[in-house]
Amino acid sequence: MLLGRRRFSLTVPSIGSLILLLLICAPGCKRSRQDRSGPGARTERDLARKNTVIFDIDGGRVMNPDVWNPFVPGSRSDHGFHQAIIEPLFLLNYESGEILPWLGESFLHDDSLTTWTLRLRPGIEWSDGEPFDADDVIFTANMLLEHSPHLLYSASLATWIDHVEKVDDLNVRFHLKRPNPRFQLDYWSVKIWGGANIVPQHIWEGKDPITFKNYDPALGWPIFTGPYTLERVSPTEFVYVRNRDWWGAKSGWKPLPRPERLVWTWYGPEETRAASMANGQLDSLMDISYGAFQALQMRNKNIIAWSKEPPYAWLDPCPRTLELNHTVEPWNDPEMRWALNYALNRDEIVRIAYENTTLPNHHFFPAYPPLKRLVHLVEEKGLYERFPVMEHNPEKAKRIIESKGYQRNNAGYYAKDGKELVLLITTHEAFIEKQRIAQVLVEQFQHLGINATTRNEAGATWQDNYQFGRFEARMGWQATGSINEPWNSMDSMNRRWIVPVGERAQFNGWRWDHQAYSDLVDQIGVLPLGDPRIDELFLRAMEIWLRDLPVIPITQAKKLIPFDTTHWEGWPSKENNYIHSPTWWQSTHLILHNLEPTGR
Amino acid sequence: MKVYLLQRVGMFFLTVWLGMTLIFIIPRLAPGDPVAAMVSRMTAQAGQVENSAEIIEAWRARFGLDDPLPIQYLRYMKNVFSFRLGYSLAYFPTTVEEMVRDTLPWTVGLLALATVLSFLLGNTVGALLAWRGTPGLARALLPISLTFTSIPPFMLGILLIYVFSFGLEWFPAAGNVARGIHPGISFSFLVSVLHHGILPATAIIITTMGFWALGMRGMMITTDGEDYMILAEAKGLRPRRIFFHYGVRNAILPQVTALALSFGGIAGGAVIIEYIFTYPGMGYLLYQGIVNNDFVLIQGIVTIMIVGVSLAVLIVDLLYPLIDPRITYRKGSYG
Amino acid sequence: MDRLRSLLENHWKLGLGLAIVLTVAGTGLMGHLVWDVTRARVGSTELNLPPIWVRNPGPMFPKPDPTSPLGSDSSGRDMLALLIAATPNSLRVGVVAAGVGMAAGIFLGFTAGFLGGWVDNTIRVVADAVITVPALAVLIVISSYVRQIDLNNMAILLACFAWPAPTRTIRAQVLSMRHRPFVQMARLSGASSFEIMFLEILPNLLPYLAASFTGTVSASILAATGLEALGLGPTRIPTLGMTIFYAIKASAILRGMWWWWGFPIFMLVLIFSGLFLVTIGLDEIANPRLRGAPRR
Repeated sequence: MLLGRRRFSLTVPSIGSLILLLLICAPGCKRSRQDRSGPGARTERDLARKNTVIFDIDGGRVMNPDVWNPFVPGSRSDHGFHQAIIEPLFLLNYESGEILPWLGESFLHDDSLTTWTLRLRPGIEWSDGEPFDADDVIFTANMLLEHSPHLLYSASLATWIDHVEKVDDLNVRFHLKRPNPRFQLDYWSVKIWGGANIVPQHIWEGKDPITFKNYDPALGWPIFTGPYTLERVSPTEFVYVRNRDWWGAKSGWKPLPRPERLVWTWYGPEETRAASMANGQLDSLMDISYGAFQALQMRNKNIIAWSKEPPYAWLDPCPRTLELNHTVEPWNDPEMRWALNYALNRDEIVRIAYENTTLPNHHFFPAYPPLKRLVHLVEEKGLYERFPVMEHNPEKAKRIIESKGYQRNNAGYYAKDGKELVLLITTHEAFIEKQRIAQVLVEQFQHLGINATTRNEAGATWQDNYQFGRFEARMGWQATGSINEPWNSMDSMNRRWIVPVGERAQFNGWRWDHQAYSDLVDQIGVLPLGDPRIDELFLRAMEIWLRDLPVIPITQAKKLIPFDTTHWEGWPSKENNYIHSPTWWQSTHLILHNLEPTGR
Repeated sequence: MKVYLLQRVGMFFLTVWLGMTLIFIIPRLAPGDPVAAMVSRMTAQAGQVENSAEIIEAWRARFGLDDPLPIQYLRYMKNVFSFRLGYSLAYFPTTVEEMVRDTLPWTVGLLALATVLSFLLGNTVGALLAWRGTPGLARALLPISLTFTSIPPFMLGILLIYVFSFGLEWFPAAGNVARGIHPGISFSFLVSVLHHGILPATAIIITTMGFWALGMRGMMITTDGEDYMILAEAKGLRPRRIFFHYGVRNAILPQVTALALSFGGIAGGAVIIEYIFTYPGMGYLLYQGIVNNDFVLIQGIVTIMIVGVSLAVLIVDLLYPLIDPRITYRKGSYG
Repeated sequence: MDRLRSLLENHWKLGLGLAIVLTVAGTGLMGHLVWDVTRARVGSTELNLPPIWVRNPGPMFPKPDPTSPLGSDSSGRDMLALLIAATPNSLRVGVVAAGVGMAAGIFLGFTAGFLGGWVDNTIRVVADAVITVPALAVLIVISSYVRQIDLNNMAILLACFAWPAPTRTIRAQVLSMRHRPFVQMARLSGASSFEIMFLEILPNLLPYLAASFTGTVSASILAATGLEALGLGPTRIPTLGMTIFYAIKASAILRGMWWWWGFPIFMLVLIFSGLFLVTIGLDEIANPRLRGAPRR
């Protein structure tokens, strides 16, 4: 016998839901009237807002908020971990091109480039008061070497480091297996986004670094040297509080940063995040599209970006390249690749895919001053007249294709021996920017007579296909590496990385095989940074590269990073370029020290 | 009866096993592994990852992904039977249990609650639509509400965000709780949770209500023609008593089975709703597991879902004879 | 005249539903005769055009252009061309998926219901297992590695998950029909199982099957749109779900570009409403009492 059915009349649920609704709406509505904050009201303590800086988490929701071990591949550092808590040894300033000393004072090498001596700043302390010294550096280095290649950076360090030697409490000597002019730059200077970090020996000793989570709020873990410590953790929000005992202020090196609290939070799709910023709930936002930026500025007049005029955006180190697989016909033919280059129109891509927030590119380097100087050399030598990469000339493209024996078939596409000329461009499913570029490219190639298509692939699939060589073309950024010296990006196309299709390649998944180019790159690789002999070798290598065009450069990478100046001022910008602006990089430390409250 | 019971329980285990096997095989057919997914994410942030091949190979070996499939399968089965779900591959060293423990309450809280509410409301509407005694006005209004069923839930979600969040600013557009509030049993926390849950719950309720209403209406009409209804009327029982005690009670049974089965659909609907509303529930976790090729996480979550749904259906099936004495499970009752 | 009126009265839901669906399908199929559908491609028009009747678009948008009466998106796709091209695609996916799924469902449902025994148990277990596995999860996995996502591949994928529900319900119907007198008669006359299944029972179930079909079409379109909204649909073939995906990714709501996501949603609502009405209408033919309790 079912009881309760009788009681279940229409009135009860309807009255009940009405009451519930009122209960919910009432506090919500009241708050909406008081202060227009948030897409929906928020329980804000306005006093705390004045002293809190709220950042946007770049890489998506943090699914494992209790893992604070920076070396396991699944961990995250961009949720405030390496921006507020972990300090770097050195910091490369993109704007000035200098490597700033931070925890490290200097990192000098001998003439053979195989011995590097690190000198630490005196007076550094971990946030629990223990001194930070050479023992911690040696412990970290040895731990990484022992657990290579599971831990991040461990495999790289294991290829270079032979052994580490303690000179005294502030000095450590690294003995390398081979000369490496970029040892400090590549691993310890936040070259791109972050780097290898030093962990405290007194906490990590005896733990298994592969399974150690480094999280214990009762003990104050994670313990690092930064001016902030972790206050609270939730799946969508991380709160950091300023550490009054920070070594930097105690030793007189820098004053304490002004913000009392830092929050990193995740608001979901671009829209919700942008809307939150419009309502004053975020001070810094990760890269957004131009249209969203416009809408933001209309709602909140205090929002700024890197520059006040187009392209508004800061250019990030990963230029976008259309990459071809050199084991797939006919794209292993340099002339066919040049045909693609003539067929595409970079200006149209900038206009449509980017809504004019970036610059077209005719090389694979980011547009930073040290590299721009080298590109200028290429221009002066007249190489761009012989190899006009920026030229948009569909007629030339058609002539090249037809000279290879292709003729138009009934569908209007080029075909040879019954096979249509196809091009499948794959993109990473999470990055709409490259998808938009690929869509424009597809239209441009279709217009020419190539049956081009594009498809998204899940991140893991995309990565695997690249390394295993199972693709035709991809819209990627895999020529990244160089910031202030050319070797890194050039080496990504070195033939030394080539493995057969079906085996995993570290770099050069495109399998471009050029002996002369690789020899030149190898020679550059052992010269010290800034050596004048590099220029000549560079020009010879670039001549080869331009003739072959193994990857087709499309655009510079844009990061449109808005800042809200309502509560905090001192954000980096083109006029005030004391540091580059991405706030998900470890370089944010410098930004934190530069922020001033507005008092609003 | 006992034979039927054994048969039914046997089929339960069989179904669960089959489902678990399917969710083991299918993700592994896709190329790519979780470490590669992580590496590709890192290359997006850090520009390049050196020695990525070595990292991927080393972790594949550690996770046992290079072992032959049967061995991996046996390991999976063994884990499940010892009630362990294993280490997540993409979020190592977090275990699947930990991640599920953090997200399951939100999904169950929001979606199960919304489904149950939708069930109750929808069936009420459906029953009323079938009953003669419903006032004409309600009869006209109710079908209008049913047309909302035509809108897919995630689209209604977008519309709701547009109107109520960006427009009127009554409700938040994302998250499960307001920033700065400590989780815990406190009034402000509960109010904030409800405040954030209203829009996603509304999206689900409005769009799924129609199916229940329609089904209930059909069942009520079928029941209405039965002999016992005519007898009840002839006996002079009050209309309301007839409606509930005879009509609804008989019509509700197939609906309850459908409800149990629909919990399986929650997982699918959850993914998109949680994606649109940035709700930190299990659906979103499953989606992340999928895009990262995190086999262990996918297996763990789906196994929980399969077991849950199958258990619900089993319980409902077994309770049927208790609720409705006309149903017997003796063999040979069919011609 | 009276017969027509009573026909309309009794079957108004079916009629209205069919009218809507056919109009939508017709617009799609005929539309390319009056409008250039290639304008649905990237770069065909100026970016971010508002619809033609918007008087004052504001500083963020250019003035409306008569060649794009419904506006354009932020990649230069003309919305009208997009709708004309995408709507039949979305319908087609649903119809093909439901067709294949129903065919499988009919075959399996009949077999299970009629033959009983271990055949019935096996089919039931497999159907239940497929129902309990979250379909969207598996679809996401599969679409992430299928080489070429085109409409037919999507339809087949969706069909793999569309068959269990019809199987279950058809089986239940067959079970209840098995004991009807006309089936006993056919058996007594010496008809084979096959003949009884497809010549006696199936014709009686036709309205019911038709209702089930349109319901499955609706569910398939919903699943396809859901997948596309997550970004897993075909890229150069316009579909309504992918349009919504691009709109979300480009912050169309925040930008105020309601025409970008509004029109596809409107079309989808029309499609679903139409199919919904058709389903109810067919349901009523199958079970005439559903038309409404007689007024006392």
